[in-house]
Amino acid sequence: MDAIRQLMLHNQELREEVRTAREAAEITARLVVKQFDETERVLELFKSANAQRQAVLDAASRISIIAADRHGKITLLNRGAERMLGYSAKEVLGKRTPLDFHLAEEIKASCEKFNGIAGGPAGGIDLFLYYAQHYLSEEHEWTYVRKDGTPIPVSMSVTGIYTSEKELTGFLCAAMDITQRKRQEESLREAMVAAESANRTKSTFLANMSHELRTPLNAIIGYSEMLEEEAEDLELKSFVADLRKIRTAGKYLLALINDVLDLSKIEAGKADLFIEPFPIESMIREVIATISPLIEKKTNRLELSIAGKLGNLTADLTRTRQILFNLLSNATKFTEKGTITVEAFPKSSPAGERIVFKVRDTGIGMTNDQLSRIFEPFIQADASTTKQFGGTGLGLAISRTFCQMMGGEITVESEPGKGSTFTVELPREVKWKQAAGGSARRVEGANVHQKAAGKNGPNTVLAIDDDPAVHELLTNYLRKEGLEVVCAGSGEEGLRLARKLKPMAITLDIIMPGMDGWAVLAALKADPETASIPVVIITIEENRDLGFTLGASDYLVKPISRVQLFDTLRKYRQGRAAGRVLVVEDETATRDLMVRFIRKEGWDVVEAGNGREALDQIAERKPDLIFLDLMMPVMDGFEFIKELRAHREYRSIPVVVVTAKDLTPEERQWLNGGVYRVFRKGSFSREELLQQAREIILREVKPAV
Amino acid sequence: MRKILLVEDNEMNRDMLSRRLAKRDFEVVLAVTGREAIEKAASALPDLILMDLSLPDVDGWEATRKIKSQAATAAIPVIALTAHAMADDREKAMEAGADDYDTKPVEFVRLLQKIESFLGSKPA
Repeated sequence: MDAIRQLMLHNQELREEVRTAREAAEITARLVVKQFDETERVLELFKSANAQRQAVLDAASRISIIAADRHGKITLLNRGAERMLGYSAKEVLGKRTPLDFHLAEEIKASCEKFNGIAGGPAGGIDLFLYYAQHYLSEEHEWTYVRKDGTPIPVSMSVTGIYTSEKELTGFLCAAMDITQRKRQEESLREAMVAAESANRTKSTFLANMSHELRTPLNAIIGYSEMLEEEAEDLELKSFVADLRKIRTAGKYLLALINDVLDLSKIEAGKADLFIEPFPIESMIREVIATISPLIEKKTNRLELSIAGKLGNLTADLTRTRQILFNLLSNATKFTEKGTITVEAFPKSSPAGERIVFKVRDTGIGMTNDQLSRIFEPFIQADASTTKQFGGTGLGLAISRTFCQMMGGEITVESEPGKGSTFTVELPREVKWKQAAGGSARRVEGANVHQKAAGKNGPNTVLAIDDDPAVHELLTNYLRKEGLEVVCAGSGEEGLRLARKLKPMAITLDIIMPGMDGWAVLAALKADPETASIPVVIITIEENRDLGFTLGASDYLVKPISRVQLFDTLRKYRQGRAAGRVLVVEDETATRDLMVRFIRKEGWDVVEAGNGREALDQIAERKPDLIFLDLMMPVMDGFEFIKELRAHREYRSIPVVVVTAKDLTPEERQWLNGGVYRVFRKGSFSREELLQQAREIILREVKPAV
Repeated sequence: MRKILLVEDNEMNRDMLSRRLAKRDFEVVLAVTGREAIEKAASALPDLILMDLSLPDVDGWEATRKIKSQAATAAIPVIALTAHAMADDREKAMEAGADDYDTKPVEFVRLLQKIESFLGSKPA
């Protein structure tokens, strides 16, 4: 029995165990199923994320995205890339490298830019890895080549692909087709060049025409005036009246020419102001004295009302007088048997003290519609007024522009039948900067630049670049040359500093976050305060034409050398005007041409028609450089050099020979001993000659800074 | 009699201006080119020079500079006259050493005033 009980007990235990085991197995199975479900869910998520990523890549159908591993093997090519390049992903994945889509010479040239830089790319794929590491997705212009061989300009960024251990495993090229932009740039450039040349032609034509017109007018006015006096002496009354008509008509014609010329100068950005202090009241009285015959002729009465302490105005006297005269002559033109009032008083404003001039008339007045157009050139309030009242319709347009150039403004109020009031406000002290031309101009010589440079400016270079490493580099380079370097980290800051410092030159990076270099350049050139500061573009992007079109003075492509940088910048350094060049040439036309373009460099030029005259010139003052023709009357070039060598104190003057003569070997050798360089006439460019001159003068003349 | 050197290449203007000056009791010496102006300034030693700026051979600026750089003629007042209204002619003329500046066509009365201001109102 015991045994049976024993067995039963055992059986019971076993059953318990089996139950436990079954329960455990059930739990495990449930867990496994659950785990399985979870895995499946994650897998599903992953799939959809991958699909999403692919969808994102493919949706960017206008952007080509290509990823490659460290060796360049392509691992991804999106639909945008397929479309842009004409290859299918299947064709290229794992089989090609991004190099296959680039111009080989472009890759080579790009690698060469980094020559000599430690760790620079050796070539090929290295270049992309280098960009990925150093340029942090910065966009650059490249050329892609389609499967059919068509080149496409693209703007491309290269981004590194890293493992979680920060190891570079590949890179991703994202590129956008910029054919359209390129085309627009091209047409913009063409349009600008065409417009500039048309404008130059127009300005030149107007300048010449005005000269040609004024010369005979001078005679007409002068002779009629002279005859008028004589007729008066001889008491030929009827002649006096007629001669006066000729003179009046001549003067009217002259005023007309002056107006047209003024306007064209303003349009060409060539109108200059001459800022000087002058007493306001006497200026007003002078204008009134000039205009009073006109006022009396229309039986008008003139009242002058001066309030407050007028004192002096610092502005362009001639232009201010002209503005006031225009307003008064306008008032008399449209007023009869009425009153014309001139008021003047000082007024304080947030921008400083201003002087207000008001010219009020009781004439015919204007409607609102007429008012809106009267400051437009060639428009009078009403086309019929031209017939009735005469005038070019330019006076008000010119007056307004001159007001604006001096930092002031002109406004008008009017009521038909009651009269008009014109108000002119000018700063009491017009600044030279405000007085720059109406539009931006390129710097054309040292003189212009000297005027524009402020107190801080003459020795300062402003470096605009978002890369602090570039700041450091430029500072190191230029401090050694005695130049002060001020750095700006963004376009906006650059503009602010340019206005404040008026540096002698600006170096400008193109690719910057926010406001890029092109925008900065355009803003600098559009602001009269900064337009004349030379801008040197320093960039990795090759787009010289656009740079020069927008007004850059020089264009350097990174990486740049110290010598290259300084050679470029020292052109703008002040003090080079101290150079004195003697041009010895018997042919007047050639000499004039040389003198003109050397003078443009800002140097003093003296001329001589032969060696003898040249020696006289040198005796008067020693030049820093001599340009010498060889075949000349009286004393030829060889004779001259002999004389020069005979004088100890003249021996050191550098001589550059510019000749049409075929030199014999003996002559050449003889010259080699005494002259700096020989230029064959007709076989060198003006720029070469100037470059040579700059080199010599820079060495001979210590800059006066 | 007060002597004026009139430098002017345009024949009509030269004739007209010289006759009007002669009528005002000035002795007028004429020069047509810049080179001639430099020579006549030295040989005639006028009391004042009226200098047109655009001249053949040596221009008026250069002639003025030359006249002002030579001791014998440096003190003679030069009034620059030009028909060019473009650019900074006034400054350029002053830089060259001219004492005053006027635009052409000449306003004779104004020019006379300028001349008198240099020579004093009474005939010497």
